[in-house]
Amino acid sequence: MKREVPIAITFISGVLLVIAFFIPHEPFGSLEQRFNDWYIIVSGFALILGIDSLLLHHWNKVSRRSKDWFHSLSLIIAFFVTLIWGFYSGIKTGHFLSAQSTFRQYFYMYVFVPLQATMFSLLAFFIASAAYRAFRADRFEAALLLFSAGIVMLGRVPLGNSVAPYMVALVFLIFAFLLYTDGRKEVDPMRKYLKIGGAVVSLLLIYPVGWFFLHYTAQTAGWIMNIPQLAAKRGIFVGIALGGIAMSLRIILGIEKTYLR
Amino acid sequence: MKYIEKLARIDRRIIYLILFLTVLLPYLFKISLPMKPLPEVVQAYKEIDKLPAGSVVMISIDYDAASMPEVQPMLYAILRHCFSKDLKIIMLGHWPLGIPLGIAALEDVAKEYGKKYGEDYVFLGFRPGVAAVMINIGKEIRSVFREDYWGTPLDSLPMMRNVHTYDDIAILVGLEAGATGDYWVQYAQARYNQKIILGGTAVVAPDWYPYLQSNQIVGLIGGLRGAADYENLVHNKALAYYGMTPQAAVHILIVIFIILGNIGYLALRRRK
Repeated sequence: MKREVPIAITFISGVLLVIAFFIPHEPFGSLEQRFNDWYIIVSGFALILGIDSLLLHHWNKVSRRSKDWFHSLSLIIAFFVTLIWGFYSGIKTGHFLSAQSTFRQYFYMYVFVPLQATMFSLLAFFIASAAYRAFRADRFEAALLLFSAGIVMLGRVPLGNSVAPYMVALVFLIFAFLLYTDGRKEVDPMRKYLKIGGAVVSLLLIYPVGWFFLHYTAQTAGWIMNIPQLAAKRGIFVGIALGGIAMSLRIILGIEKTYLR
Repeated sequence: MKYIEKLARIDRRIIYLILFLTVLLPYLFKISLPMKPLPEVVQAYKEIDKLPAGSVVMISIDYDAASMPEVQPMLYAILRHCFSKDLKIIMLGHWPLGIPLGIAALEDVAKEYGKKYGEDYVFLGFRPGVAAVMINIGKEIRSVFREDYWGTPLDSLPMMRNVHTYDDIAILVGLEAGATGDYWVQYAQARYNQKIILGGTAVVAPDWYPYLQSNQIVGLIGGLRGAADYENLVHNKALAYYGMTPQAAVHILIVIFIILGNIGYLALRRRK
């Protein structure tokens, strides 16, 4: 019964909601409304369940003195300070977020907002460091991705058009240098001249490509966002939607039962 | 070649320091750079700009303090635009931690334009359920929000008397830091044909270009650049506009780091 009842509830709710979507008339129309009301109520209780689970998890860590138990303790203290301060402000001013509330003025604006914003802004440092170490043009696909990312990053900011030609010139100079030094060491004359020729072409391309990016970096970034990026996103969206339909059907029909664990 | 190889092994602390200075210096010297607004932001601006006075704009706060530097300037700029055009604002949110940010911005800008609560703007607050809330607004807003955030029944607020469903809302502006924008499109636009403008962080904005191209949204304000463009369009250059210089400098710096890293990597690979 522990498994059959939830599967039956899922099946009936799922089928009824699908019918209600395609036949939005009585009795199914009001049924959808009722399901939505229930869903909102259940979601509210899910928040309480989440709080309970969070506190229990961290309290267990504190009581067992598990690794980093001190962090768990600070979470529990912070939780209750927030809760009590919120209630106190609410009782004193009528609403915990009213303009006069000390909870909003001090706790939210001067403690919570800076803390959360600081946590997120640390990402900038990690992204810069990770981009430097991980973005390697070791394959053609990686080089293409790198080049597109660079153009979008420059094309989306002011000064991008002015800076992009120098970046592109630097990349082409490096290519020319590498091809030339490689070519000099080649024994096979065919490969040697091909590489040295490639170096010369790279040098010759600097001016026209630089001119192009001086005038069209922003437009190129827009094109990348609107054409190849969009095509890839659309493909991913269609895939996600089909996957979602398949998974929903598996859940409604009781084939997928992992949610019962 | 040894010096070139060292380019692949720059200490991360040096990268952090250079990045910190790159962000700080443009702020200290208040350098600003000229920008041409992106077409998708101009489209969003025009959609709001052409609304007749008295139209209702619904703004959804679906972000919190982590995304505040990018999204909050958008909210201020949009509110200034709406109030300067005498549009009515209904604000709600699906991210409970972002609710106070919405209240603060709404109160600030309403005071700036001398707008009255209940007549020119209303704050509905948060209800759990995301998709269910969006669907129910399409049937009757009172089925989800019987009262506003401060406990006043909706029918006693003059501007809400004639607002019942999406049909009474001219445009919905979703300010996003996650996937809630997709839900707005799936439920409010696809089911109820609601006009939607989405604004959000630079991380989530690329996901919305398919919606923009298929006219499922009528404008897109992406990242700090989008916010700066909107500030520029409403002739109120503020935080986002001045934040663009550090962002431009950081983008250029990251591209330089990537190039340096690759020079070092290629030199190392050739030696091996």
